[in-house]
Amino acid sequence: MLLDRPTSAEEAIAAFLADPSLEPLVAAHRVLKPQPPRHAPWPDGLDPRLVAALHGRGVEALYTHQARAVEAVRAGKNTCVVTPTASGKTLCYNLPVLDAVARDPTARALYLFPTKALAADQLVELRSLADAAELGLKTHTYDGDTPPNVRSVVRAAGQVVITNPDMLHAAILPHHTKWFKLFENLQFVVIDELHTYRGLFGSHVANVIRRLRRVCRHYGADPVFICASATIANPADLAERLIEAPVELINDNGAPRGRKHILVINPPVANEHLGIRSSSVLTAQRLAERLIGGGVQTIAFARSRTAVEVLTSYLRETFAPLPGHPHTIRGYRGGYLPNERREIERGLRDGRVRGVVATNALELGIDIGGLDASISVGYPGTIASTWQQMGRAGRRTSTSLSALVCSSAPIDQFLASHPEYLFEQSPEHGLVNPDNLHVLLNHLRASSFELPVPAAERFGIAETPTLLDVLEEDGYLRHADDDRYYWSHENFPASTFSLRAGAPENVVIVDTSGDRNRVLGEVDLFAAPLLVHEKAIYIHEGVQHHVDRLDWDERKAYVTRTDVDYYTDADLGITLKVLEVFDEADEPPAGKRQRGEVMVAWKVTMFKKIKYHTHENVGWGSINVPEQEMHTTACWLVPPAELVNRYDRDTLDGALIGLARVARTTASLLLMCDPRDIGVLAQVQAPFTGRPTVFLYDAVPGGVGLSERLFGLTDELVAASAQLVTDCRCTEGCPSCVGPATEVGSRGKRVAAELLAGLGGG
Amino acid sequence: MSTRSLVERLAVVRTERARAPQPQPPPTPDRAQALARWFGASLSTCPGGAAVLVERAVALPPAVVAALAPLPEACYFDTETTGLSTGTGTVVFLAGLGRLEGNRIVVRQLLLPDYPHEPALLRLVAAELTRAERVVTYNGRGFDLPLLTTRLTVHGLFRELAALPERHDDLLPVARRLFRRPLGGARLADVEAGILGVIRDSDCPGSEVPERYFGYLRGGSPQGLADVLDHNLQDIVSLALLEAEVLRLRAGGWRDAGLLDRHGMAVELLRHGASAEALEVVESAMHPGVDQGEAHTLRRMATRLLLAAGEVDRAEALWAVATRRASADAAAAWLEVARIRERHRADLRGALDAAVTAGQVLDLAFALGRGGGMLAVGRVRLRVDARLRRLRRWVAAADRREARRPRESAVA
Repeated sequence: MLLDRPTSAEEAIAAFLADPSLEPLVAAHRVLKPQPPRHAPWPDGLDPRLVAALHGRGVEALYTHQARAVEAVRAGKNTCVVTPTASGKTLCYNLPVLDAVARDPTARALYLFPTKALAADQLVELRSLADAAELGLKTHTYDGDTPPNVRSVVRAAGQVVITNPDMLHAAILPHHTKWFKLFENLQFVVIDELHTYRGLFGSHVANVIRRLRRVCRHYGADPVFICASATIANPADLAERLIEAPVELINDNGAPRGRKHILVINPPVANEHLGIRSSSVLTAQRLAERLIGGGVQTIAFARSRTAVEVLTSYLRETFAPLPGHPHTIRGYRGGYLPNERREIERGLRDGRVRGVVATNALELGIDIGGLDASISVGYPGTIASTWQQMGRAGRRTSTSLSALVCSSAPIDQFLASHPEYLFEQSPEHGLVNPDNLHVLLNHLRASSFELPVPAAERFGIAETPTLLDVLEEDGYLRHADDDRYYWSHENFPASTFSLRAGAPENVVIVDTSGDRNRVLGEVDLFAAPLLVHEKAIYIHEGVQHHVDRLDWDERKAYVTRTDVDYYTDADLGITLKVLEVFDEADEPPAGKRQRGEVMVAWKVTMFKKIKYHTHENVGWGSINVPEQEMHTTACWLVPPAELVNRYDRDTLDGALIGLARVARTTASLLLMCDPRDIGVLAQVQAPFTGRPTVFLYDAVPGGVGLSERLFGLTDELVAASAQLVTDCRCTEGCPSCVGPATEVGSRGKRVAAELLAGLGGG
Repeated sequence: MSTRSLVERLAVVRTERARAPQPQPPPTPDRAQALARWFGASLSTCPGGAAVLVERAVALPPAVVAALAPLPEACYFDTETTGLSTGTGTVVFLAGLGRLEGNRIVVRQLLLPDYPHEPALLRLVAAELTRAERVVTYNGRGFDLPLLTTRLTVHGLFRELAALPERHDDLLPVARRLFRRPLGGARLADVEAGILGVIRDSDCPGSEVPERYFGYLRGGSPQGLADVLDHNLQDIVSLALLEAEVLRLRAGGWRDAGLLDRHGMAVELLRHGASAEALEVVESAMHPGVDQGEAHTLRRMATRLLLAAGEVDRAEALWAVATRRASADAAAAWLEVARIRERHRADLRGALDAAVTAGQVLDLAFALGRGGGMLAVGRVRLRVDARLRRLRRWVAAADRREARRPRESAVA
């Protein structure tokens, strides 16, 4: 029953919104109307013990989406449930799975979660429901934290095995004979947090699922897949790409929701000329203080661990507890011990913790109940994560508030001036490319180790026989007389690659100043030539270090502490060669757009020594690091010829660099990916097109489908980029749009806008 | 995506080539028969294919035959495989199975002509193993048997799996106990060279084994496999020799053994219930020349044995020698004395004295730089402190009880 009496938190939120000092900061304010619950009758024949257990926990009826999920799964359909945080999503799979196990104790289910913490959380949830129903369920997590003596028990007797795709890939599938009890009777595969399986990681996971299906077929099992996802544009599509089978989409959320205020907050401008705004952390701190001070239980999300610690300590100063009492403000991030995390989660649920500052560790479905308010400090990178963070605030009946505090970053400023991007339509797609050849070949090797591959079988793509022949030629497989390909190599192929490797390796920075060598930190392989080339000045926590030696083969940089009055700046030379054009759209008035396969090579050739304060160039040196290259997919934009002919080469160069920067920002927004997943390159005279060209490429060998998708969204890309540039309040370019004038030239911003207009974005 | 462009793109993808392309094998009507002919051997057929059966007999020394005769009938078992991981894709391509017949060991080797014949090979291997009462291996617990189980499971041969003998004697743990320290390793090759006096000439190194089989499969001559078969044969013979040697040592042969880990021997004897003899082994080993760490281990074992036999005085006396020099080891020795006094003499004060001394000795050792490093000292320090805390608490409790007692009697 809805209560009319406003709670104190409700009053506090009203007071917060009524405060006149808030108004100048508000870039947008929307109110989501409350929604009453929609219930559905209990599905027929559900095990009475389960129904009784749910009654015992206060669940009198199922919400519509839960009932539909149960029915779809029982009808043997692969199902994908997409509903907001805290809408009872886990019941959508726990209920049909437990019901099946109650009926037939030999039935087995496999749960996949992207992290161990989520798996541990789910274990508790599943056990408590199963225990309440007195099912005697045998379930455990199976991951790096599972004690060795428990492992063999889980393998033989676990009815629900909770693990992650990495374990499935490296430990379960290659040893499937030890798991034959599971695979023989596997009826359900649950894939929660589906939206995290995108990009390269998702492409790997799709192939792990191909392998899983082969093993299931071998043991005569044909499990139903139950996926659950946060809101993205294409959940069913992503699920179908991952499991390669049709899915039933269930997205009518029947859970109730209270009224919700959503604010987009833009901190005040501190320096108009440079386009710099006040710190988003400090602004968030002030908002949080007012909310928590008014009795509103609040969660703040920060983008980095440091920001979490800073904000936590500020808030702790404000809300210092009485001596001898525990802090009511807690930090929560990766690196905290599991027990500590559980304790914070409990504190949030029972109200002892009044405020928590978290990284996105809390974004994924950890159960902390609903809070009164959420503050996202800086745009989390995707609209889906923004909604997930905001979903943390929201009670079933009372009013809640969520605020996004924008930083000075280009994406944040774009959202501040175009909040409709956030509210109206979600243009974000979870993209995977399971047929990325690098990824697919690795998994085909792993899969043929698991079971021989008949020549007639298809592993994802129609060209499987060609790939098998290639692997035979390379000495990995043997094509035997029975027309099957057998693993024929000493290696254990699943151990030769990981599902999550972005850059395969890092360069370790070793400080040799002290009496013994000390590891200072790491940089990824891509950035290493820029930051730790020989004679570079590498700055770590404010201390200068001179790089004495870079051992490229050993991936180690040796540094010593130093104190000099200059810093170093290396020039990265990127070259891009188009290998093949897949698609093109030639529209004479709006220039040219193409998509294809490219080879990107990068090499750092020289560095400059730049004096502090005066920025004089006081020397230079050459850098001897091997060139690195990758094959990937790209799309590129060529502005109309008659337009570019109006500008001199230098102006054009600056404007293209600016355009590329803006395009990367908007592309990451459109594609729901990290900006670092997309590489950009501006060439004033590209060898392939012979004209000024901006390339956007997948920054992953083989590509994951970003540029392909982007090619289909070129109009949106150009329009959004044009708008970002024209709406920016700076005069000659700033870090929030095309970049500062020192980098793009004094006419850079204007010309970039004209080029975008010429490309059709006017 | 056309096939041509795929091939071109693959050329780019394949950064590391495992090896240069080999010519395809000439089409043979029947690889299995050809292989059997090459070895001059017979072909064992069975549902699911055939395996080449090479049978050879090796005469054993009479002492070995005599030592092994009373044991339940064994199958000496060793496999050669296409890799070292126990994952699903590693295949047994050669199984050697040895049985004692009279004064000889008869070794049947089953060789896989090609992958599709594997179910037949597995059935034949399982049948041969099932005839014996026990399986004897070297590292079979960690490798050969799990792998056989995996392969049987892949092919759904559960009946064969269930029928395998229950008793499995893996000689690797025994060899580790007895020979690893003196030999500096416990690979079968180490034991052969150092203990059994087996000399292998022109042996095929284990690391080359998979490649030889792949070479044959790709159309190479079976010549490379002949060495693998010989290697496997020797492994099986060595298994029998090793088992006989272990029996000999256990039956008192340890007294004149040259290379032997005495402590390990004592453990081995204890496992077979011979504790008196185990103590004898340990005492024989505790001569002055033995190094500190070794001496400590031996003394602990002897203490265990003596205490079990109720010889508390002798147990405590064992440690007196070790407590004289200021070192972390001496502190550890004093701790042992404390433990003996506490547990076996119920002498809490004496135990406390010993523990206090342990602390002092440790401080002195640290000051003199004889501690053996911060870590070693720290480790002993933790144990000393824990025992001191406990003993002080107990002694204090005992004192309180003592103090109460006269009053109680006064009231009475």
